[in-house]
Amino acid sequence: MADLKLAESFALIALNAQRSLELTIAKKAALRCMAAAVILELHLEGELRHPEAQRSLKQDRAGEPQDWTYRKAVIDPLANGKRELNRELLWWLHRASRLSKRKLVRFERSIADSLKERGLLEEIPHLLGCDLYFHSADVAIKEYRSDLEEYAKITEYLRADVLEDGRAAEQSVCLLWLLRESGCMHDLFSRNELEQVTAKMVNLMQSDPLAKVLYPFRIRRGLETAAKQLLQFKKHAVATQAGSGVNFLFPVLERSQAVFIDTEAMLSGPGTRLQDVLARLESKGHRVQVLRAGQVPLLKIDNLVYEAIPHAVYGRVPIHGVRLLPKHPV
Amino acid sequence: MSRQRSMEAILASEYVSIGELTRLTGARYSTLKFYTEEGMLPFEQAEENLTRRYLRESTVELIFRIKRMKTDGLSIPQIKAALKEER
Repeated sequence: MADLKLAESFALIALNAQRSLELTIAKKAALRCMAAAVILELHLEGELRHPEAQRSLKQDRAGEPQDWTYRKAVIDPLANGKRELNRELLWWLHRASRLSKRKLVRFERSIADSLKERGLLEEIPHLLGCDLYFHSADVAIKEYRSDLEEYAKITEYLRADVLEDGRAAEQSVCLLWLLRESGCMHDLFSRNELEQVTAKMVNLMQSDPLAKVLYPFRIRRGLETAAKQLLQFKKHAVATQAGSGVNFLFPVLERSQAVFIDTEAMLSGPGTRLQDVLARLESKGHRVQVLRAGQVPLLKIDNLVYEAIPHAVYGRVPIHGVRLLPKHPV
Repeated sequence: MSRQRSMEAILASEYVSIGELTRLTGARYSTLKFYTEEGMLPFEQAEENLTRRYLRESTVELIFRIKRMKTDGLSIPQIKAALKEER
């Protein structure tokens, strides 16, 4: 397991399956949380409390270029004068989560480049490029893919730490908050597990000093706020006396895609259909693992799981194929 | 696909699968998989594609020990280091 810092671990979760060339709402929310993760990373290392250490962040450090480049991209625009040097954690988080679009893009490049250099992140053709309309129009969209092994290790560690009894590590406390704020919670936990996660977070808020400060703080800005408020509205709209359903415990900013892949032949059997789908996905550079074959196969494409449901789209003639529908969690 | 063994059969056998360990200990499948990948739970595997087998008694005891250590406030890396030291 690569020795990753908090911001790097979170970046591998948050950037996975995000468009790499465009700044979507989901990616902007993820980047704001990644900037907050840098602040938390420095806080855990005790750097924020020592003005001298903060000053050193502003200088180039020869031995550790990877660490400091992405940290500097967040800290430099925030700490301009001496009066900023002794601020509280929440002040830093508030400022970091409100970085401008230009600064967020610069930060994204610095952290993505450092992860790419180490072979932990790569840019591949986007899954949407396999869709009938995008494929036939030859539209190229790129997405990030986190290293499959490293992604599994980070998420499995978090699941083992959070879902089992006992004290959660500080890094897990921070990751839970970051996942909640970035809308990535549903990528990692099933509906039943989300209830446990909620209970754990409530428990941590009462017992853990860091969680007590961190969990009431919300990252909200612009369109992301509107998107989250819409989800809040949906939550209230569907609420009954019995409750509102676990589905709405945490807002989701969807990052998986509903993609239609056409098959070569009409009315093809499950085996041929699956072969066609695998061929299309692999030709676009995706790593596919068949978790379950049959009428409705279950496929793990890169780091996300999809159901391949037989489907047809109707134009002048019907086109048969499969619709890939995201299935949470991995 | 093999049939699920009864609890009686599981308790009588020397080796168990990871799924059976979840039934014996109440720990999650994903947690046990993670512990195995991290080298915390020793297993036997005849060939690469065959199922991993765990010695029932010692592994169950080990899982309960890990649970206790976690409840006592140790983090997973600390537990891993402690187990490594003992071996």
